Amino acid sequence: MRRQLGTGEHDEVDRLAAREAFVLPLMFLTVTLAGGFRADAAGVIRLVPPPLVALLLAMLLVGALLRARALAPERLMSGRRDGPGNLCGLIVLLTLFAATAQIFNALTPDAGLLHLIFTVFFIVLLWNTMVAQPDRPHLLRSLMVILGSALAIKYVMLAALYAPEPTLAKRVLTVLLEGATLGALTYQPDAAVTGYVAFFAAALYLVGVFLLPHAEIAELQDGRIAEREG
Amino acid sequence: MSPRVTRVAGLVTSVVYAVFIVWLYVRQPQTIGQVTGGVASGFGAYAIDRASFDDGLRFFRNDQFVEARAAFQRADPAERDARTQFYIAYSYYRQGWGRVYVDRRLFQSGLDVVNRAAALAAGGRLAIDDPNLGMKSIDELKAELERGLTRDLSDLNPLKVFRPRK
Repeated sequence: MRRQLGTGEHDEVDRLAAREAFVLPLMFLTVTLAGGFRADAAGVIRLVPPPLVALLLAMLLVGALLRARALAPERLMSGRRDGPGNLCGLIVLLTLFAATAQIFNALTPDAGLLHLIFTVFFIVLLWNTMVAQPDRPHLLRSLMVILGSALAIKYVMLAALYAPEPTLAKRVLTVLLEGATLGALTYQPDAAVTGYVAFFAAALYLVGVFLLPHAEIAELQDGRIAEREG
Repeated sequence: MSPRVTRVAGLVTSVVYAVFIVWLYVRQPQTIGQVTGGVASGFGAYAIDRASFDDGLRFFRNDQFVEARAAFQRADPAERDARTQFYIAYSYYRQGWGRVYVDRRLFQSGLDVVNRAAALAAGGRLAIDDPNLGMKSIDELKAELERGLTRDLSDLNPLKVFRPRK
């Protein structure tokens, strides 16, 4: 026999349903849109789809989220949920994957040796995270550091180093770097607005990952929703 | 609202938003004007700025091609109107045309724009009823631009200097 839910529990059920139906998909879709945004100095906008390597990195990160139980897929899709519930869960998973791929796309230089260096840096860090099997809080902190440092290196350090009007010291440094790498270390900085959009996307992504249904959430999502809908 | 209704509404919203994002990535708008114009055109609500188009036409007929393009681009910021794009392509042709040689850079720009006009026109066909024009269709203009970009032995024909600008 099913017990009646109290008012507070109804609110909780509604809040969780709204989160997985609206909040998470819309946040991740916005990250997907913003992650490919590039604007050059002339103000021309480009939307860059994720390269194959970004999809592979996204698989690694989603795998790390699953291993740390920062994402509990059974709370999004299971035989105990109804059709719309499972569809919503699928949309959350798909949009999470797309947003993850686009976050790596946003934080990695588009081409050249720097693209390779950033990609290797991400692969090593994510692999290390998976092997270390951190719990959810540690994984989220680690993810914040990874994304934050990549953002700072690409949109602050590299952008300053390869600015259109560099100082003499910067010019000497870039010439030395390019000389040491036989000209392979080239970088085309985007307009400043690209950095702001990437920052917004990374912050939104982290909030979205924080809001994902995880193993520590109480039984509300399974038990109480099933009670109310049953 | 029951959780089931919330989920269905969320599904619809997410799918619409996802389709919009895919559309943006496919269309690759380069300005915010192109985004808003593209959306408006999707609903059949897009219209060019008539006054700017008339300005462009006036400049075009006075052989002020740079000014004409600026006015045409103001008239059609989303680049969704085949007729306006046709005139922009034509302005590249006339500006790039020379009795001895053609400006390949301008002709290439014209070809890019005329291809865009063809993509926008229904069935790729567009006829312009303007007595000032020597070529009144996309097909003629495109062929002329392509001829200008092609290098062959006929370029050495001295009689080419007598050919008229269309």
